[in-house]
Amino acid sequence: MFEPKIVVFACNWCTYAAVDLAGTSRISYPPNVRVIRVMCSGRVDPQFVLEAFKNGADGVIVAGCHPPVDCHYTNGNIKALRRFTLFRRLLNDLGIEQERFRLEWISASEADKWVKVVSEMVEDVRKLGPFKPKLGVKEV
Amino acid sequence: MSEEPRIGVYVCHCGLNIAATVDVKAVVEYAKSLPNVIISRDYVFMCSTPGQDLIRDDIKNYKLNRIVVAACSPSMHEPTFRATLESVNLNKYLLEMANIREHCSWVHSDKKVATEKAKDLVRMAVAKARLLEPLEEQEYVAQQSVLVLGGGVAGMRASLDLASWGFDVYLIEKSPTLGGRTALTGWLRHDRRGAEVVKAMIKEIARNGKIHVFTNSELIDLSGFPGNFAAKIKINPRYVNERCTLCGECELECPVEVLNEYEYGLNRRKAIYIPFRNSYPQFYVIDPRVCVKCGECVKACRYNAINLNEKEATLDLKVGAIIIATGYDPYRPVRGEYGYGLHENIVTLFQLERLLDPEGPTHGELIIGGKVPKSIAFILCVGSRGTTPNAKSYCSRMCCTSTLMNTIKIKERYPETDVFVFYKDITTYGNDESLYEEAGGKLVKFVKFEEVPVVDVGPEGLYIDVKEVTIQEDIRIPVDAVILSTGMVPRRDQSDMLSVTRASCSPDGFIREAHLKLRPVEAPSAGIYLAGAVAGPKNIIESIRMGSAAASKVATLLSQGKVKAEPLVARVNEERCSGCKVCVGVCPYRAISMIEVNGRSVAHVESALCMGCGTCSAACPSGAMQHLGFKDNQIVAQVVAVTGGGSV
Ligand code: SF4
Ligand code: SF4
Repeated sequence: MFEPKIVVFACNWCTYAAVDLAGTSRISYPPNVRVIRVMCSGRVDPQFVLEAFKNGADGVIVAGCHPPVDCHYTNGNIKALRRFTLFRRLLNDLGIEQERFRLEWISASEADKWVKVVSEMVEDVRKLGPFKPKLGVKEV
Repeated sequence: MSEEPRIGVYVCHCGLNIAATVDVKAVVEYAKSLPNVIISRDYVFMCSTPGQDLIRDDIKNYKLNRIVVAACSPSMHEPTFRATLESVNLNKYLLEMANIREHCSWVHSDKKVATEKAKDLVRMAVAKARLLEPLEEQEYVAQQSVLVLGGGVAGMRASLDLASWGFDVYLIEKSPTLGGRTALTGWLRHDRRGAEVVKAMIKEIARNGKIHVFTNSELIDLSGFPGNFAAKIKINPRYVNERCTLCGECELECPVEVLNEYEYGLNRRKAIYIPFRNSYPQFYVIDPRVCVKCGECVKACRYNAINLNEKEATLDLKVGAIIIATGYDPYRPVRGEYGYGLHENIVTLFQLERLLDPEGPTHGELIIGGKVPKSIAFILCVGSRGTTPNAKSYCSRMCCTSTLMNTIKIKERYPETDVFVFYKDITTYGNDESLYEEAGGKLVKFVKFEEVPVVDVGPEGLYIDVKEVTIQEDIRIPVDAVILSTGMVPRRDQSDMLSVTRASCSPDGFIREAHLKLRPVEAPSAGIYLAGAVAGPKNIIESIRMGSAAASKVATLLSQGKVKAEPLVARVNEERCSGCKVCVGVCPYRAISMIEVNGRSVAHVESALCMGCGTCSAACPSGAMQHLGFKDNQIVAQVVAVTGGGSV
């Protein structure tokens, strides 16, 4: 079976802590994810997401604290929301299927949500198959 | 880069926590193949002293200048390993951790897959480590003052301890009085009432010049960093000032009456009232939510103590640290849960304590539904331990003990009264076990259930239907009154405080500590500490202890007179900055301003104000703004490492 490789950008305060909580609670989930820790979802430059696709990721998740008020830095998550709403519109133009990118809000206590998001994502991307750039993603 | 990276990789077994699922040796071997890795080792417990010695020796012997530790979450041991580097004069920011426990061994069971994932995580960490730079912490003067939120026993204890060490304390209480829930609690032990504990603490606080008490007040804004927080306090009007002599004339004239929350709704109070006998400050207060501003009280007051036009005020404070001690709410059963709300003889444990209190609405007479009950049933675990659909899953910790104390008090005063305790389990831990024996000695009858009992509210009275576990029989007991031993839930009004302090909650809704074992009285955000039941169910003694613990943590932070701030802040490359000001707009802390350099306008980050979110870095179109520790090239290196090569 095709095992997609999914890169996750997780904010330190909510989502990274939720992934830790899934660990301490020993909840198993698909092993296809690799988490990159950033301090805030607002730190994630869309360029990083494109780099991931360019280098062979099959899916990317950007995850942070719940808007509007959960963000450790007041409103970094709102900035991520705005940024990636625009970015999502570009996905088709870049030849990236919508299902390959997710922006998620997962609080420190939501280990179960983390597991759900990962499981869904792996399944969705598995259906799509490996990511093959249709347009010029290689050149971004 | 000035020097070629020489990386040491250390893979931890964590006993079997990692080694049972990850082939540690294979990861070590793999790491050796990665660029710039000089040495790679495994050890059973990297965080132990011998484990750290291993790293220290290698740094010296192999001239390592970057360290990768593949072990648990950085939230657990990053400080430990940073200290290891520091102890041999290697800059502590030249460390990168790969989380192969929480993110790998604990959540995957297939050894092959987990091992491959661990290799990926190590490869990512090495890729980032190659690009790490030494960073210097900055030092700032630490304010010698502390903000304590919540005037219950935990907050009061913390305030007193801090004041005794010379710190200025701002004790902020949302309600009109100090005392918290303990003031309303009955007997803690035979010889001690909650009200007395509170009274003694209030007395000490009132005469302590270092403690500045603000009741009717709340924190509305907070910024800054450990050692240097700026807090904005809103002081809501009390409408009654210190000229009040407690004569009570105003109360007689006030036409507005509402349920008295200080007696858990057992009686009524006026819109102008005094919360309870030993409340502090000792003058009347007007509840603006119900006051109709008719002015009757103003006319009645001979001392001109009332001003209905009083306005709210704000107060700006500079403090070095914050203690959150805002407490809990009693669980409120839903209507119909064990008959609650369907019959006036069904009350909660919190209400019962008021009834048995000499200063309560019945002056200590146990009068329920107009008369002294001849038989009483307590039902334990109401709202706790998942007993009903609405109940929380945790044990509320204090209800068993409190129930038994009250059964004993009832038996002492009314020896003829039949007292039943319906329980799932009884945990009177520590010294309180003697209460269980004492209650038994007074012939309190214990009835054990597995399926929750049913309170039958019939026309002719109350019955408890239950299947008794020991005798395995269905029994029906008629009683005059039912006491629901309700537990603790997070405060219903804590969301504003949470959004201002950015403290985060556990799934139960109580505030989460940074780490249960390593940082048990700290919130996840630096400089913010926790005390009492705000961090989960606690009895009064435990809350007081946690108040002291939080105070000593604060003292540890502030007593040096200066604090070090993490250097993981944003920095501008002035050459590359185009002066577009995009970063100025996105920074939530107004840490960025434009300055003139060689005739060009460029961005400048005030490090003391920067909290290190990195938002500006992500927004900067010229790549001029870089988040130290999370620079673009460092993150991209991880991305490339995880995607290019390796397996799933
Ligand atoms: S990282 Fe940038 S946006 Fe965030 S606080 Fe610092 S200066 Fe402001
Ligand atoms: S966003 Fe970048 S280029 Fe624009 S002012 Fe800030 S640092 Fe300079």
